[in-house]
Amino acid sequence: MAASGTRVSSLRPSRPGSPLASGLRRLRQATATERREWRFALVLLMPAIVMIGTFVAYPFVRGIWLSLTDTVVGREGEFVGFQNFAKLWDDSIFRRAAQNTVLYTAAATLLKLTVGMVVALMLNNLLGFKRILRASMLLPWIVPTVLSTLAWKWMLDPTFSILNWVLFQLGLIRFRVDWLGGPVMALWSVILVNVWRGTPFFAITLLAGLQTISPEVYEAASIDGANAWQRFWTVTWPLLMPVTMVVMLFSVIQTFADFQLVYILTGGGPANSTHLFATYAYQVGVATGKLGEGAAASLAMFPVLFMVVLFQLWYIRRGEGGVKKRGA
Amino acid sequence: MGTDRGNATKRDWGTIPRRTFLKGAAAVAGAASLGGIPGIVAAGQAPAYPKGTKLHLLTRINFIPAGDTLFIAQAEEFGRQMGVEVQVERIGENDVTTRSTAAIVAKSGPDIIMFQNNFPHLLANGLADVSDLAEALGKEQGGYWDLSRANAYVGKKWLAVPYGCLSNTMNYREDWLKEAGFSKFPDTYEELREVGKKLKSMGHPVGQCFGHSVNDPNSWCYPFVWAYGGYEVEKDGKTVALDKKGTLEALKLNTAMWKDMFDEGGLSWDDASNNRAFLAGSISITNNGASIYFVGKDKFPDIAKVTNHAPNPRGPAGRYYHLATHSSAVMKYSKNQKLAKEFIRWYMDKKQYEPWFVAMSSYMIPPTKVWFDHPAWTKDPKLTPFRDSIKDARHLGYAGPPGAKASEALAKYIMVDMFAKAIQGTPPEESLKWATAELKKIYSA
Amino acid sequence: MAAVAGAWWKRWVFLYLPLGAFVIVTLFPFYYMAVTSLRPDREMYIPWNRPNFAPFWTLKPTLEHFALLFRETLFARWLLNTLIISVLSTGIALFCGLLAAYALARLRFPLGGTLGTSIFVTYLVPQTLLFIPLGEVIRSFRLSDSLWALILTYPTFLIPFCTWLMMGYFRTIPKELEECAQIDGATRVQAMVRIVFPVAMPGILSAAIFAFTHAWNEFIYALVFLSSATNKTIPVGVVSELVRGDTFFWGPLMAGALLGSVPVAFIYSFFVENYVSAMTGAVKG
Repeated sequence: MAASGTRVSSLRPSRPGSPLASGLRRLRQATATERREWRFALVLLMPAIVMIGTFVAYPFVRGIWLSLTDTVVGREGEFVGFQNFAKLWDDSIFRRAAQNTVLYTAAATLLKLTVGMVVALMLNNLLGFKRILRASMLLPWIVPTVLSTLAWKWMLDPTFSILNWVLFQLGLIRFRVDWLGGPVMALWSVILVNVWRGTPFFAITLLAGLQTISPEVYEAASIDGANAWQRFWTVTWPLLMPVTMVVMLFSVIQTFADFQLVYILTGGGPANSTHLFATYAYQVGVATGKLGEGAAASLAMFPVLFMVVLFQLWYIRRGEGGVKKRGA
Repeated sequence: MGTDRGNATKRDWGTIPRRTFLKGAAAVAGAASLGGIPGIVAAGQAPAYPKGTKLHLLTRINFIPAGDTLFIAQAEEFGRQMGVEVQVERIGENDVTTRSTAAIVAKSGPDIIMFQNNFPHLLANGLADVSDLAEALGKEQGGYWDLSRANAYVGKKWLAVPYGCLSNTMNYREDWLKEAGFSKFPDTYEELREVGKKLKSMGHPVGQCFGHSVNDPNSWCYPFVWAYGGYEVEKDGKTVALDKKGTLEALKLNTAMWKDMFDEGGLSWDDASNNRAFLAGSISITNNGASIYFVGKDKFPDIAKVTNHAPNPRGPAGRYYHLATHSSAVMKYSKNQKLAKEFIRWYMDKKQYEPWFVAMSSYMIPPTKVWFDHPAWTKDPKLTPFRDSIKDARHLGYAGPPGAKASEALAKYIMVDMFAKAIQGTPPEESLKWATAELKKIYSA
Repeated sequence: MAAVAGAWWKRWVFLYLPLGAFVIVTLFPFYYMAVTSLRPDREMYIPWNRPNFAPFWTLKPTLEHFALLFRETLFARWLLNTLIISVLSTGIALFCGLLAAYALARLRFPLGGTLGTSIFVTYLVPQTLLFIPLGEVIRSFRLSDSLWALILTYPTFLIPFCTWLMMGYFRTIPKELEECAQIDGATRVQAMVRIVFPVAMPGILSAAIFAFTHAWNEFIYALVFLSSATNKTIPVGVVSELVRGDTFFWGPLMAGALLGSVPVAFIYSFFVENYVSAMTGAVKG
């Protein structure tokens, strides 16, 4: 809606600084048409705000409150400030869980990205079987996590592992692998299952991104003498960056907060080598009834997640801003 | 319906009338037959409950389907007699904790929840006083076993009515034991090591879980420590005593046993893995409840034929067991506390409990002493060792009083991890030091 | 001639074989689940190092596990429950998300960025924490043990992603579309509903697929807020009934896993093309 020409400048923040402050400023300097637009926007946003406000805001605030008290199931707690967090910091198991979570998220995301990218590239070049291939590839993502993880448990059980059998038949191992028993092996097995479950999401989404790149760009690059490897890095990768960041954003959040997978496969063991934030928080909060400490453990992930998210959001916005300036 | 499961060849599921199963335990409310007075109500007269009263009981799903079916039928009967609707909900054991936490915080949910181990201590603030009921039942049935009482008696009152204990003992293959040249099951841990060594060399290792699982790893680790004189905490309930001599010995022995006799997949096992491995003929000995034997009789009769049970091994300080107790607690937030207590009274009464106990075929040990001489225990002599385990059972957090802190230590798998770490290569002294430090953190809070 | 031959084997080495390997690895567990669900109990527990370990087939396939699933558990009911919950919560999430995305993407207003970010931030809060206080909320709304408890709480983690996704898609639709409609006399709302939404249909479909999958899969809220036997969802019901203490009923478990996923995949196969092209659009912006 072409409003008065001078107002267009309100589309750009007039000063770098808090968007909240500039927003409030603009609120005060609005025109009638703008106010109409804002009312309309507010109406549109109402359903989402109501749903989220009712069912997330209150529990979230209560959760924060819990983490600052010494609440135990059945007994109201008293405010204790950051004592729970201090306790966690001292807790060797918590530190291990933190370490595991970072490793788990980093490794799983990188693997999913790599494999997903390779698969997307391949699918992009494939001519037939498209629909059935894509649908069947989504299966690991669709099947309820609980159930597919149980199947993996069966496949990784040292007494019955079909993986051991296959590797043994192929001559690649002489003794069975204890997938979920070794201190390092267990975490990597869990990462493996997570990668199995999450790669389809990456692959399909990256595929979509690939299909937006017109072949002419590739042709131009090959005319310039680039080989396949170089074409990927100079053309494909940069153009896919927005998609990649969006997918990675959601994947990182989910992987970081992963619970069911580890809970079912190992329960955090052996000897806490696969505990993640979420499983440890559950163990502390629910299994021992110490809700305050459990809430603190759950929220410990929040600052880190928040930073990761902010960074990615900034990166995405930066990309968008650039596009806007060019396209405007 | 209360047939002895022991000799059934078909899984009982097929015999449940579908209607019963589908309806769960929702009794037909309405036809309030106040004429049918439940004979067990102490007051001698059925109080009238408003039409539409609902009673909700939450419990873990039973390994033996026949037990569940019978219990649900009994619940329906109770509902019919009292003119109320009784709902029996069964979910996985771990999930009970999740649900009860949410229920207590929200102050609404099931009226009765069946808890495992010393959860009544942990959730003391959310449970109603049931002392009158528990005491009455105890008097009638010959008194409670120490363990049953320990886990349900908090402070100075009963916060739950003991329901039973999941027994566990050493399950073993008679044929392989004979083959290895031993005529009877070893009595001490040292002897077990020798026998196990021989068996492992024949390709039949001993199986034991050391992962993060609720029952099996604890059933091995705690008694092992106790048998060598070690224990978590002193009588005062505050001073951590784990690092006294006994524990280290047990730890070292177990670590040696790992290479000698254990199936080395045990670190990644959970409660069900040893069942599977035993039934697959992959291990020769394991500590477990009667579930292996029952599934064996049902599906793997050749293995069940050569399976037998023996008491836990003995150490210099004695022979001990860690058994998981179950108790029924009435929730404080419940609006039907009186009705709930009557229901508990109903199913704990001999008339209802006995058929259930028989249907369960000694999978669970009743909490009171009067059942010790029940013929069901000796009907199949292979199952008798399960009965005796209750005599040597000890509560968690020994030698201190049973309480929430012991629960915390259990939930954090401190004992199990101590053993697991030693197996994975940490020197036993260090592993012990870690466990002691963790316990100190818990007990000093 | 040499060039064609080179291209031919190249296609196999760099395309068909790796892709084939990927498909095998991805789908193999499902094949295994299928075999397990057809395997009679007696064959279930054979260690991997025995000569008669036959992981890839069974000589005596049986349908008893599937029969048990339907006869002895309330699987059919759970399927219906999960379907109802997923469809309705997806519907709500799409409704809220669509409107919110339109507002955030098309309309200029202060605090837009902040609101957008804060809707998104709620996505970060873990459900393993939220479920405890959320129980209180459910109770005060008297939704305990009702499918509505889930239908109304699932959107809390579905809305953020749906909004985000559709925002991206909206940005690709030229503003001229609406402006033309408004010049022709349509109101703001009419322009939005009649012009923009239909064009955004692929985006809406892709958000629907994402939301539906997550609702289908969810475990912890379904465990905590529902209690009657008839009111369970597939993940909770199957695990509750078929994992009894230390005995897993693998046959019916795997049957449940298959029946709980293959039909959904089948339905998706009709929409996957839309999903792909929608993500294409969402991503171009």
